[in-house]
Amino acid sequence: MRKILIAVGAVVALTAVACAPKSSSTIPATSGSANMTAAECATAHASDLYADATLTIATGNPAYQPWYGGKSVPDSEWKATSYTGDPHSGEGYESAFAYALADRLGFTEDQVSWLGIPFGKSFAPGPKDFDFAMQQISISDKRAEAVDFSVGYFDVNQALIANEGSPAIGVTTLAGLKDLTLGAPLGTTSLQVITDQVQPNVEPRVYDDLDLALKDLKNGQIDAVVVDFPTAFYGYADTVVGQFPNLGGEQEQFGLSFEQGNGLRSCVDQAITEMQADGTLDALKQQWLETDTSVPTFS
Amino acid sequence: MGDPGREVSVPKGTPGVDPRAPMPPGSRSPKLLGGGVDGRRSVWVAVLSTILFFAVAAILIVRSPGWSSDAGVRQQFFDAAEFRYSLPKILDKFWRNVFIFCVAEVLVLAFALLLAVMRSLPGAVFTPLRVLSNAYTILFRGLPTILVIAILGFGMPALQLQGLPNSDIFWAIIALVLVYSAYVAEVYRAGIESIHPSQAAAARSLGLTRGQAMRHVILPQAVRRVVPPLMNDFIGLQKDSALVAFLGLTEGLRQAQIITANDFNFTPYVALALVYVVITVPQVLFVDWLVKRDQNRRQSGGVA
Repeated sequence: MRKILIAVGAVVALTAVACAPKSSSTIPATSGSANMTAAECATAHASDLYADATLTIATGNPAYQPWYGGKSVPDSEWKATSYTGDPHSGEGYESAFAYALADRLGFTEDQVSWLGIPFGKSFAPGPKDFDFAMQQISISDKRAEAVDFSVGYFDVNQALIANEGSPAIGVTTLAGLKDLTLGAPLGTTSLQVITDQVQPNVEPRVYDDLDLALKDLKNGQIDAVVVDFPTAFYGYADTVVGQFPNLGGEQEQFGLSFEQGNGLRSCVDQAITEMQADGTLDALKQQWLETDTSVPTFS
Repeated sequence: MGDPGREVSVPKGTPGVDPRAPMPPGSRSPKLLGGGVDGRRSVWVAVLSTILFFAVAAILIVRSPGWSSDAGVRQQFFDAAEFRYSLPKILDKFWRNVFIFCVAEVLVLAFALLLAVMRSLPGAVFTPLRVLSNAYTILFRGLPTILVIAILGFGMPALQLQGLPNSDIFWAIIALVLVYSAYVAEVYRAGIESIHPSQAAAARSLGLTRGQAMRHVILPQAVRRVVPPLMNDFIGLQKDSALVAFLGLTEGLRQAQIITANDFNFTPYVALALVYVVITVPQVLFVDWLVKRDQNRRQSGGVA
């Protein structure tokens, strides 16, 4: 009997050591007080930062134009090409927005650190090794069960791009798209637009990233690709065939994704709201994104 | 079948020339639970410690701070509603994996056998075939499967060759067959080389040609011996059928990824994992049963 007890004891001890829970300190999210500036709020929540005195922002790698542009800075893990950019450059809508946001929160350019992550990491449970993810993430109620979203920083809708000779060219109705082979990158609302609005007869194809979708578009494996509206203008394909209407009444918005309970979010919300009100976001949009509204909307 | 005068009838289903060949050592599987003089007591100890081990492990996991917190592991990986929502959708697409690996397995069995036999051809005149087979297995065992799938799946359609299909499923199957044939050829070869040379010599002395000896004496024994490792490779192939997602085809994994990315919830991955385990278990049991049956037949010393 003693042997049994020893064996059981050893097992328990081993398991306990292997799985010893890390002490977790959950600091409840407090909303930024009305009379604090965003920067003061960020100082007050400095303990919520992943790295001391640094704003660590996660995004994808490659980072696509027109959201991320410019040239690669030395030693950057992001490679700038004709389709991609480097978040460190400050060029491209999201990169420029990030540095403007950091400035509001009281961080200098040098205090902004970028982390390349696969999409799934932005919502995986557990402590995050970044402060928030900025990767054209659409806000939804379902997603908000896993992360905390900032207020929206960009209103977005989806558009269809195709190359010369594609049967998609000239189509003006959603019904006209039904028999085409459409593609979209994984993890985007572009795919939802295909399944919900087009309801195609041909199964849509879903790619790991935009690059692979464009490769198949070029090969003629697919007829057209659905991307967000600003991306559609970035020369990824010959023609922007049309844009998709906002159905269901709710405007799709991009938001920053935080670990739940991160107190910094209230400061970021305050900063974004201010940037919205004083026209900063509009100016960024004018500077970095195509605002051509002459593209027909599918009916 | 060669010279009819030298034809020797070999009864079907005979394990080899000598049906009473001794059982290879260690082929009897060890018992999962302890035996011996105080076997009963050992069994109880084993049961008790196993239950305790898993109970403690479960309690530690469930009581860890990341388990049931908001957006914790329980909600993010084991969400019942998400599971019910995603499982039928995943199963719906998983049939594509089933199709891919079933077709690939049949082709692999044939192609790998060809490679293995090529490798075992005797004589100087067959050197190029042996070298070819050897080089092939080295090359394709060295290449990551996902690279072969990506190179064929994205590269071949880009060549715009006439007469070749552009379907992802086609190129994925080709890629899986290329890679797994290299592994399975080695498994076959191990089986062929494990058959004692005296078997071939005996068959030859009975008047069988080299081909007949291979076909009727060596291979039947060799293939029986390698059934468990063959099953290993097939299970590997079944799992690697998920790599086809990379080409843009919505199969089981891609469907799970889509739901995960839409809902920010990893439960669909757990659902898919369960599907893979569920299809693996009967196959493993089947192979165990097959090997056991074969052993029993050999032990009883005849053709059942």
